[in-house]
Amino acid sequence: MALTQVSSNKCAGGFQKVFEHDSTELKCKMKFAVYLPPQAETDKCPVLYWLSGLTCTEQNVITKAGSQLAAAEHGIIVVAPDTSPRGCNIEGEDESWDFGTGAGFYVDATQDPWKTNYRMYSYVTEELPKLINANFPSDPDRMSISGHSMGGHGALVCALKNPGKYKAVSAFSPICNPMQCPWGQKAFAGYLGSDRSTWEAYDATVLAGAYSGPQLDILIDQGRDDQFLSASQLLPDNLIAVCSEKKIPVVFRLQPGYDHSYFFIYSFMNDHIKHHAKYLNA
Amino acid sequence: MDLFEIRGGGGGGLDVISEEAEHQESRELKAMDPYNVASDRGRGAARDVSTFQRFSVDTNESLRFEPCEDSPPSPTGAEDGYDDDDDVFKEGETEREIVTTRSRLQGKVAEMENFAGHLEEIFLTVEENFGRQEQHLEQHYNDVLQTLSQRYDERAAGLEEEKKGKLEALYGQLLVCGRALDASKELIETAQEVYRSQDKRLFLKAVKPTIKRMEEFAKEEVDLTLSTRLEFDTPLADMSDVKTMMDSINVVPAPSAPVINPQMPNSASQTSLRVCWSLFSDDTVESYELYYRPVLEDTPADSTCAPYVNRVKVKETHCTVTDLLPNAQYELWVTATNTTGISPASERALYMTVPSPPVIKRRECTSCPEAAMIRWESGNTNPVDSYTVELSETSTDGTAGGVTESIVAVPTCQCLIQLQTGRRYLIAVRAVNIGGPSDKSDVITVSTTGTFFHLLEDTAHPCLSISEDGFTMFYGDEELPISAMALDDTFTRCVAVLGDLIPVRGRHYWEVEVDDGTEFRIGVSYEDTERNSFLGANKTSWCMRHILSPSRHKYEFLHNGWSPDLRITVNPVRIGVALDYERGTLSFFNVALEQHLHTFHCHFQNYVHPCFSLDNPGALTVHNSIEAPEYTFI
Repeated sequence: MALTQVSSNKCAGGFQKVFEHDSTELKCKMKFAVYLPPQAETDKCPVLYWLSGLTCTEQNVITKAGSQLAAAEHGIIVVAPDTSPRGCNIEGEDESWDFGTGAGFYVDATQDPWKTNYRMYSYVTEELPKLINANFPSDPDRMSISGHSMGGHGALVCALKNPGKYKAVSAFSPICNPMQCPWGQKAFAGYLGSDRSTWEAYDATVLAGAYSGPQLDILIDQGRDDQFLSASQLLPDNLIAVCSEKKIPVVFRLQPGYDHSYFFIYSFMNDHIKHHAKYLNA
Repeated sequence: MDLFEIRGGGGGGLDVISEEAEHQESRELKAMDPYNVASDRGRGAARDVSTFQRFSVDTNESLRFEPCEDSPPSPTGAEDGYDDDDDVFKEGETEREIVTTRSRLQGKVAEMENFAGHLEEIFLTVEENFGRQEQHLEQHYNDVLQTLSQRYDERAAGLEEEKKGKLEALYGQLLVCGRALDASKELIETAQEVYRSQDKRLFLKAVKPTIKRMEEFAKEEVDLTLSTRLEFDTPLADMSDVKTMMDSINVVPAPSAPVINPQMPNSASQTSLRVCWSLFSDDTVESYELYYRPVLEDTPADSTCAPYVNRVKVKETHCTVTDLLPNAQYELWVTATNTTGISPASERALYMTVPSPPVIKRRECTSCPEAAMIRWESGNTNPVDSYTVELSETSTDGTAGGVTESIVAVPTCQCLIQLQTGRRYLIAVRAVNIGGPSDKSDVITVSTTGTFFHLLEDTAHPCLSISEDGFTMFYGDEELPISAMALDDTFTRCVAVLGDLIPVRGRHYWEVEVDDGTEFRIGVSYEDTERNSFLGANKTSWCMRHILSPSRHKYEFLHNGWSPDLRITVNPVRIGVALDYERGTLSFFNVALEQHLHTFHCHFQNYVHPCFSLDNPGALTVHNSIEAPEYTFI
C-alpha cells in the first residue's frame, strides 16, 4: 500500500496532491487526487469522495470544479479517484469512450475479461477509504460521497447500498436509472452480463425503492440544457418518483441554461460542499 | 460650675470636662433655663428660642456620656494606667487583653474628645444667645423707659398749661371784683355826701341822679362764683401701650416667612410629595401651614375656577401631602405661626408627583438572540420627561438573579436593548419626570434563545382570522363583507399577514407549521411591500410557495415573480426559515428532516418582516422563540 506522490500544489491554504499506488482490487497502478485543507495540519478531517464521470481522470475535478476553496472553508478532505483501471491490456478496453477505460461505472464486474480488474465499486468503497485513513489525517467515521454523471450514479449507488456509511450524498447530473438508459445498459451488460436482475444492485432508482436505513438527504443538481438529459441517459424523474414514494428526501434542482460540463459543476460546487459540510461537521 | 470656666479650658481642659461629664446633663438643663440653649445640631432642625419643647432630642443623645465602668473617666488617666500595667502583666493572653483594653480606652478618649467638642459648641451658643437676649431685653427696657419719660413730660406740660389758665381766670375775676368794690365804695361816698348836704336845694338837685346811679348799680350784678374749678382735670393715663411693650419683652416676634426648599430627588411618589422648608434661626414657630394646589396649564390665569387650595397644618418643617394626581405639578407655599402671629407666605415652590408606571405592550415586544425591542404605553395623559428600562438576568426557573442594568433617558415609548444570547431577562419600565421615577411597570420576560415576534394584525387580509395566542392564522371560505376591504395597511389580494420582526441585522430563525394540503406562501418582505400584489411576485418579497396540483406537490421559491425549478421528494409540513442579514441569505428547511430546501441570496437593504399567506382556505401556525439549529447557518 505504498503511496507515491505524483504532485503537490499549495491550494486554498492547503495542498492539492496526486498520488499513485498499486491497487489490490484493480490489480494495476491507480492515481487519485486528494485535497488536504489547512485544518488537516492539526485535526482529523472528514472526507468527501468525489466520483467523476465518463472519460474523466482524477484531474478533471481538481482542475475544473473549484471545490478547494469551499473544502478549505469547511475543513473537508476531498478524495477523487480515477474512473476505471488503466493499462490492464484487456481487449477492447480502449475501443469506446463509454465502456472500458474511463468508464468503470463503479461496479464490481462479474464477466470476463473485466472481472479481474474492473472492481471499481470495491475500490471506492473499501480499498480507497482504507488507504486514505491509513495515510492521511482523516476521520474514518465521517465520510460522504458525491459525483458527476456516471460518478453521480456511483455516488448514489454507494450511498444507497451502504446505509450509514456515508453521512451525506449529492450528485451533479447523475445517471439515475442506468438499467433504463443506453449508457447503463451497455456497461451493465458488459460488466455484469445479460441477467438484468444482477443490474439492480447498481441502479440508484431500484436501490432507492428498496432503501432502508438511516435518513439520507440527497441533493441533486441538473442542468436543464444538458444534452444527455434530453437524450434520456440520466432519467432523474424516475429516481424522484421513487424517492417521493419512499419518502427519501431529495432536493432536485433543475438549473436553467446549464449543460453537462464542469462549468455547470463549478457553478454549484459550493452548494454541494456546504450540503456535505452540514452532515460531516454536524 | 461656671460655664465660662469650662469654655476657657477648651480642648486643653479635657480632663475637667470629662470628670464633670456625668453631671453635665443636669447642669446643662440648668444652664438652658433662663436663655435656652440649642446646639449646632439643634439649630439645623426647628429651633425654638423661648420654649424648651423644641430642643432637639438627638442633641441630648449626642451628649449622653456613658462612663466606662472599669476604666477611669479621664483619658489621660486611662493612658497612664495602660503604661503602668504593661510591666505587671505577663505575655500572651494578658497582652491581648491589654491591647483590647487599650483600644477600648482609645475609643473612649475619642468619644470624650468628641463630647468635649460638643460641649464647647454648646457653651459658645449659650453665650451667644445670652448676649443676644440681654441686648434684646436692654433695648426693650430702654424703649419702655423712654416711652414713660416721654409720657411724663407730656403730662407735666399739660398740667402746667391748665394751671396757668386757671390762675389767669382767677386773676381776671379778682380784678373785676376790685373794680366793683371801688365803684360801690365811690357810690356810698357820694350818697353819704349827698346825705350830709345842708343845702336842701342842692340835695334835691343831687339826690335824683345819685339814686338813679344806685339803682343802676344795684342792677349790675357782680358774679361772685368761681369762674374755674379748683380740681385739676387729669385724664386717666393710657398706659396700655407701655403695658404692651412690657408684655412684649417676654413675647417673641412673629416669625418671618419660611424658606421652602426646592424638590429633592426621590421625595415624590405617584400620589404624594414630601415637602421640606426651613425657618430663620431667630424665629420661634409653633406650627406651619402648608398650602398647595395643582398647576393646571390649560387654566387661564384669571379663571374663576382656579384650583382649590389645600391646607395642612404641621409642627415639623416637613410634610408629606397625599392624595395627589400622578405626573402633575403642584404649587406649594408655607406660613409659620407662633403666639404672636403669622409669618408672610414663603416663596411658591413647584413640585411634581412622579408619573404612573408605563404599561408594556406585550403584543408589540419582539426579541432575537442578540436584542429585544420593548414597546410600552406611557400610562400618563400628560407627557413625561423620559423612561428608564430596567433589566435583570434570571435563571431559567424564574428566580431573579444577577445585577439590574438600567437604560436611562429613553425619550420615546420603545427601546431596543442589546442582550446576551441564550439568557432570560426580566424587563420593566419606569416613567421619569423631574419628580423622579415611577413605580415599575409589569415585568416582561424575554428569552434570547431564538427570535420572537407577533403577527402584525393590522396588515392581515380581511379573510384571515388570527387565533387568540396570535400565532395561528385561518383562512375561512366564508364570503367577505365588502366593507372589510377598505382598510389601510392590509393585504388586499394575497391573503397574507406580516410578522413584527425586530429590526436587528443579525440572524433570525422561525418555523411554520402547515397541513400537507395547505397552499401557502411564507418568507419575508419589506414592510412596505405592495399590499395588492402576491408575495414573491415583486422585488420587495421573497417566499416559498406550495402549490397542490392534481398530480403532485409543487414548490416554488419566488422573488420578483421568478422561481428556480426544483423538486422536493418529501413534503415539508414544518418549515424552518432562516434569515441572515449579514450574509444576505434567506434559507428554507424541512425541519423534520433537517433538509435544506432553498436559499435566496439577497443583501436586504431595509429591514424585512416575516410574511405568511394562505392561497386556499386552511390554517398556518408560526412557531417562535426557537433556537436556530446549527445547520441553518452553515
